[in-house]
Amino acid sequence: MKKINIVLASICVLLACENEEKTPTAKSNFILNKVTSEDSGIDFSNLVTEDAQHSIINYIYYYNGGGVAAGDINNDGLSDLFFISNTGENKLYLNKGELKFEDVSEKANIKGNSSWNTGVTMVDINNDGLLDIYVCAVSGLLDFEGHNELFINNGDSTFTEKAKDYGLDFKGYSTQAYFFDYDKDDDLDVYIVNHAVHTNLSHGRAALRNQREPLVGDVLLNNDNGTFTDVSESSNIFGGVNGYGLSASVSDFNNDGWDDIYVCNDFHEDDYYYLNNQDGTFTESLAEKFTTISRFSMGSDAADINGDGYQDLMTLDMLPKNEKVLKETEGDDAMFNMQVHLNKLGYKDQYSRNMLQMNNSGEYFQETALLNKVADTDWSWAPLFADFNNDGHQDLFISNGIHRRPNGLDFKKYVSSAFKGRTENEGLEWLFNSIDEMPSGKVTNEIFEGNSKLFENKTGDWIINEANISNGAIYVDLDLDGDLDIITNNFNETAGLYENTTNGSKNYISLDFEYKKSNNQGIGLKAIIYSDNKHQLKQLYTSRGFLSSVDSKLHFGINDATAIDSIQIIWPNNKLQTVKNPEINQRLKIVYTSTNTIYNYDNPSNKTPYFKRENLIGYTHKEDNYNDFIQEKLIPYKISTLGPAIAKADIDNNGFEDIFIGNASGEPAQLFMNSGTRFSTKKQITFEDDKAFEDNDATFFDADNDGDLDLYVASGINEYKNETYQVDRLYINKNGTFERSENRIPANILVTSTSKAYDYDNDGDTDLFIGNLTDYKDFGKSVDSYILINNGKGEFTKDENFKLNSKVNSAIWQDINGDNLKDLLVATEWDAPRLFINTKGKLKEITILENFNGLWQTISTYDMDNDGDQDILLGNWGTNTKFNLNFDGALVMYYSDFDKNGKKETVIAYNKDGNYYPLNSKDELAAQMNIISKLYVDHKSYAGQTIEEVLRKGTINDAIKYEVHTLASGYLKNNNGNFNEFVVFEDAFQLAPITSFSELSINDKYQLLVGGNSYRVNTYHGSYSALKGLIAEDESNYQPVSNFGIEPFNSQIKQIETIKMKEKNLLIILSNNDKLKVYSYKN
Amino acid sequence: MKPKHSVLLLILFTGLFSCEKDYKSITISTDDYHNSVDKLTEIMVHDIFSPPVASRIYVYPNIAAYEVLNQNNSTYKSLNNQLNELNITAISKTDEDVNLKLAAVIAYIDVAKELVFSADRIEVYRDSLYKEWKTINPNEFESSKTYALVISEQIKEWMNADKYSETRTMPDYNIYTDDESRWEPTPPAYMKGIEPHWNKIRPFVLDSAAQFKPKTHPPFSLKKGSAFHNELMDVVNLNNTIRAKGDDSEEISIARFWDCNPFVSVNKGHFMFAEKKITPGAHWIGICKIACKQTNSDFEKTVFAYTKTSVAIADAFISCWDEKYKSNLIRPETLINKYIDLEWAPIIQTPPFPEYTSGHSVVSAASSEVLTKIFGDNFAFNDTTELPYGLPMRQFKSFKLAANEAAESRLYGGIHYRAAVEVGVDQGIGVGTLVNSKVSFLK
Repeated sequence: MKKINIVLASICVLLACENEEKTPTAKSNFILNKVTSEDSGIDFSNLVTEDAQHSIINYIYYYNGGGVAAGDINNDGLSDLFFISNTGENKLYLNKGELKFEDVSEKANIKGNSSWNTGVTMVDINNDGLLDIYVCAVSGLLDFEGHNELFINNGDSTFTEKAKDYGLDFKGYSTQAYFFDYDKDDDLDVYIVNHAVHTNLSHGRAALRNQREPLVGDVLLNNDNGTFTDVSESSNIFGGVNGYGLSASVSDFNNDGWDDIYVCNDFHEDDYYYLNNQDGTFTESLAEKFTTISRFSMGSDAADINGDGYQDLMTLDMLPKNEKVLKETEGDDAMFNMQVHLNKLGYKDQYSRNMLQMNNSGEYFQETALLNKVADTDWSWAPLFADFNNDGHQDLFISNGIHRRPNGLDFKKYVSSAFKGRTENEGLEWLFNSIDEMPSGKVTNEIFEGNSKLFENKTGDWIINEANISNGAIYVDLDLDGDLDIITNNFNETAGLYENTTNGSKNYISLDFEYKKSNNQGIGLKAIIYSDNKHQLKQLYTSRGFLSSVDSKLHFGINDATAIDSIQIIWPNNKLQTVKNPEINQRLKIVYTSTNTIYNYDNPSNKTPYFKRENLIGYTHKEDNYNDFIQEKLIPYKISTLGPAIAKADIDNNGFEDIFIGNASGEPAQLFMNSGTRFSTKKQITFEDDKAFEDNDATFFDADNDGDLDLYVASGINEYKNETYQVDRLYINKNGTFERSENRIPANILVTSTSKAYDYDNDGDTDLFIGNLTDYKDFGKSVDSYILINNGKGEFTKDENFKLNSKVNSAIWQDINGDNLKDLLVATEWDAPRLFINTKGKLKEITILENFNGLWQTISTYDMDNDGDQDILLGNWGTNTKFNLNFDGALVMYYSDFDKNGKKETVIAYNKDGNYYPLNSKDELAAQMNIISKLYVDHKSYAGQTIEEVLRKGTINDAIKYEVHTLASGYLKNNNGNFNEFVVFEDAFQLAPITSFSELSINDKYQLLVGGNSYRVNTYHGSYSALKGLIAEDESNYQPVSNFGIEPFNSQIKQIETIKMKEKNLLIILSNNDKLKVYSYKN
Repeated sequence: MKPKHSVLLLILFTGLFSCEKDYKSITISTDDYHNSVDKLTEIMVHDIFSPPVASRIYVYPNIAAYEVLNQNNSTYKSLNNQLNELNITAISKTDEDVNLKLAAVIAYIDVAKELVFSADRIEVYRDSLYKEWKTINPNEFESSKTYALVISEQIKEWMNADKYSETRTMPDYNIYTDDESRWEPTPPAYMKGIEPHWNKIRPFVLDSAAQFKPKTHPPFSLKKGSAFHNELMDVVNLNNTIRAKGDDSEEISIARFWDCNPFVSVNKGHFMFAEKKITPGAHWIGICKIACKQTNSDFEKTVFAYTKTSVAIADAFISCWDEKYKSNLIRPETLINKYIDLEWAPIIQTPPFPEYTSGHSVVSAASSEVLTKIFGDNFAFNDTTELPYGLPMRQFKSFKLAANEAAESRLYGGIHYRAAVEVGVDQGIGVGTLVNSKVSFLK
């Protein structure tokens, strides 16, 4: 007995020691340190009780939590704090300085009378110089009563509720109010975001958003001499039964001096992007300006994060990072059918991940969350852009966590069956009793450091990595020490207060404003500070993030700069006021002085564009209904949408190049004859006959040496799954009529991606390289590509000396060793690019780099480093793609008949922290391999399993293994004829797969036009459409195509060609499933 | 401590030794068989199997049990060479100790384990039975088990060659379409089309999946007055009439009683729940059980009845699914939402596969043909099958009347046009009659 006791004791000691070591010592490690409620006096918790009638089962937003607001309610210079309690009493704390707070809720009379409170914002509604408090509520749902409340500040830290007097006693499903001046009459109006709940109708057509629904629809209230009236209808604000609004971001997104609104809608409803028409109305413009948006959009924030003077935007969603959570809960894979259905109802494609929308001159947004690795922060509520380390760059804080995850798959399939056969009430009771079976969703808040280019995760470094549930969140300098502290409203936990310990190690300035009396805080104004040869722009709005509002100051970090050259204030009336050389490290109050200087916004549309849109060729490519993902359920992207094909050549010898466009399966190819001034279609009977074929690529060349141009067309996957339409075709030109030849070329039923003509053996006739991507029924198979030797009579046989077994996407003939013989450069996927040097008709492969496999889409040459020689350009998948989120080692694809049923499948595994996990969900794998359902009956057992565990080691060893080592696009630098150095392109080139490089002369300078994007991917990826087109002089000098008058590329670019006309040049932009676009530019 | 242990061991040893001497025989009752069938149903509800797959899971264990019993029976005839490609190597039961009823249950469980996902649940059930039987009579148990597994292994081999595995990797139904008449996924879950290649599964009695190919449904047309449009409007009008009568109306009771949708998605709060039920096949297996018990059928007859019914059900699904994915007809709900009433929802949820013909109609008609042959016409019974799923009992005067009501229920439910129901019943009668005439169960 004694012995045992001693051993036990020592174990205890050991454990104790270990514990002590592991506990983070307070206030040492982090930039933002948690202050305990004992120290601060903030003991508020948003305690939410549940019962069978009140829980997430009958109210979808039961776990959304409450907001928090900051503002100086007693004008003592210190920001006070207000916390929302969903079901309990709201609380108000007076800031006593040095992070000490006093709870004055009891006497302040702000506890609230509504059953369910949500968002809060402080605003001086009656212009008496005292901040009032506006609290949103959900009313009219379940047994929730009450209305939005306005607590008018009596000036003695007590308040009186007077919402009705101002017309602000809105009753409905409110989430948050946004005060701003949309009509520039110098008083504050308000946009109130309200949310929908699921009904049969809320799942109906998108057009339902046009029919206003009481309680649910968002409202815009105009301030008319202190009384608010609903102007939603006349201002063109949607208010439909499908408006699941959870937040908004108000900002002048297009820099026209008028405030615009972005509204985040949950579920299937699109977000709304309202551009201010400057006449009291708005135009919803989401579809025009955004290509990728969050599905379950929750909180949002707007700020200029890259210093280009335009406000960027972040919207949050709920994509988990944790491998176990990822596989246990429902993800976008489940949306495959649904998305098609939603499209039919008129909704946009949406994807469940955070979106970081970079604003390009107010003309369009580029989504870059995957590149920045801010896409998957799990169940996220409030994003906040602010400079937390005062280095002059905006950082990003994200509040996280949900009490229970309602999208747990096991709950859905196995627990909720308790519902069966019971009456509605009994069933709800049953469900409620099993509610604890839903997985808990505590997740750490996240913080990212910004450098105006990219974000870097600093969770666990800047802030404690600790699972919790924080909903509303704000930043504010509570202790006036020149840095921003963070406050979170936590669910069933004490509110979080994070003290910023930057404490003067970097310089800053904090601005406070006094505008006209009717908007004395100056909401809507902009401040631009100039220091250290850079400028920072911020616009003043208080409601931000989620359900919450910050105080009305603007905080700028300026790093080590010792001076600010000037501050420009653009007041809400667009008058400009300048402050020169203000003292730094202070709070500066700037009072509006009436001037006559109106701020002059640059209007980019006034410049004459270099390229002009033309209507010369009427062609639209419409992809057919072949569906790759039902044929082979585990493939990552389609291989049937590689078209259309384009070839240009002067067929009729009139001096102008004509154009062939090969179509999708089901539509005939088109031949456009060029007169030098216009194009006319020339009907070809064979093209009509062969319309079942899918055309991926085409080449004009003289096959039979008779002096006219014949045509090779590379075939892709036809809609009818008919093998006779799977082969490539050679059309022989007979006096201008193209006739399909027989037996001149080998039958090629593979998916042909490219055909490139060249007399590589220099015998006077033209030969062909034929590149194959894959077998149309067998995605994983590596296939042979080959050279077709011309016997001089237009009969072709394969060059037996040339071997290339891979997956070819594109190829060019180009001399890279200066011997005037063109060499063969091939872009492949799941393989390295392949270079073949032409030595007198013998093609000899040269090796380049080790571990250089990519998803190489295209290959070309250009002097990218501006050193006078041609480098080899390689378009890859890009790093703004979902693969990039889990790329801690090579991406792997296994290929084998895993379930031994005679059909091989591919299984992709990604590397996360050194382990390989299957990319697919259990249901996806089971759809292809029945055995998975037996190995893993529930989702919990599958979640977190490595690929070795899922596929079993033995089977894996028998499988063919493909790898991808790099996702980035870049170029192989020409070092005196050696190509063994890969230079990665800058981030602007990595925003989507690059599929097209073309060279053209602009302003008498050769420049590179870069295009790409991909809609071939499945719902796991979403779609990649952020590469809006670049025109590059070299690797570091480039501009978006939109600067030249070319519309941003929103589609999947296939190929870009130039054509000379009599008077001008044409730029022809050909995309998959889109209209052909033609631009003219000067000769 | 020490002394206690010794006592325990002693008791254990004596127990073992004393048992070895005179064992009584293991008694297997019809309830043991019913319980195994019920256990399988319970696991199938948990694992969520679609109706066609469920029909396959019911039939093979029954055939295994039937074959164990009837290699040499005076009343019942082996199905060897009667069902497509079934060739069991003749087994002479050499061992005196073999208890055929026991072996039948063992074979049933052994095959069932192969078919479900939650094999561990069957194993727990099996092991508890094994333990009990072993205690009663280890020799009899071992001999019976050996015999059972010889048969069940052969059944499994035959089963595994039925193209089920191959159909797992065949393409899904293509939802990309411009064809207005073509089926598309339905609210609220928009699940993908279930089992588009079920017609490639080897049938049991049918010479091919298309043997009872039904006549074509009225041609798709949205023109007023066309046969198709009339049928569509009938669904709308009938549903309106029924709804007006209220939740307690006979029609709504009937629609709900025969719903038999294994995975009904229920929209509540943040998410969709699944309300799980048994399949149409399971319902008729339940009726078969009721008939067996009501007639006090002996063990052999019970196994015979289950086997024959489940064969008819399995072939009914193959026959019906062949037509479903040939005609690929759009469901009324889709058309009504699109053209008539955006908010319209059927009384029961539209199941995730094409409309024509009605699966429940085919299966119910086929089952009733077979059950009538076994238990006679005008066999009145109280259908309590759905009680565990919260639905009341219904009384029927005959199997055929029950089948007709099941078929009609799909119209009340608003998930089928009339042609699918009427033609479906004919198709089912065809299948049932064929099973009755082509296969001899009785000597």
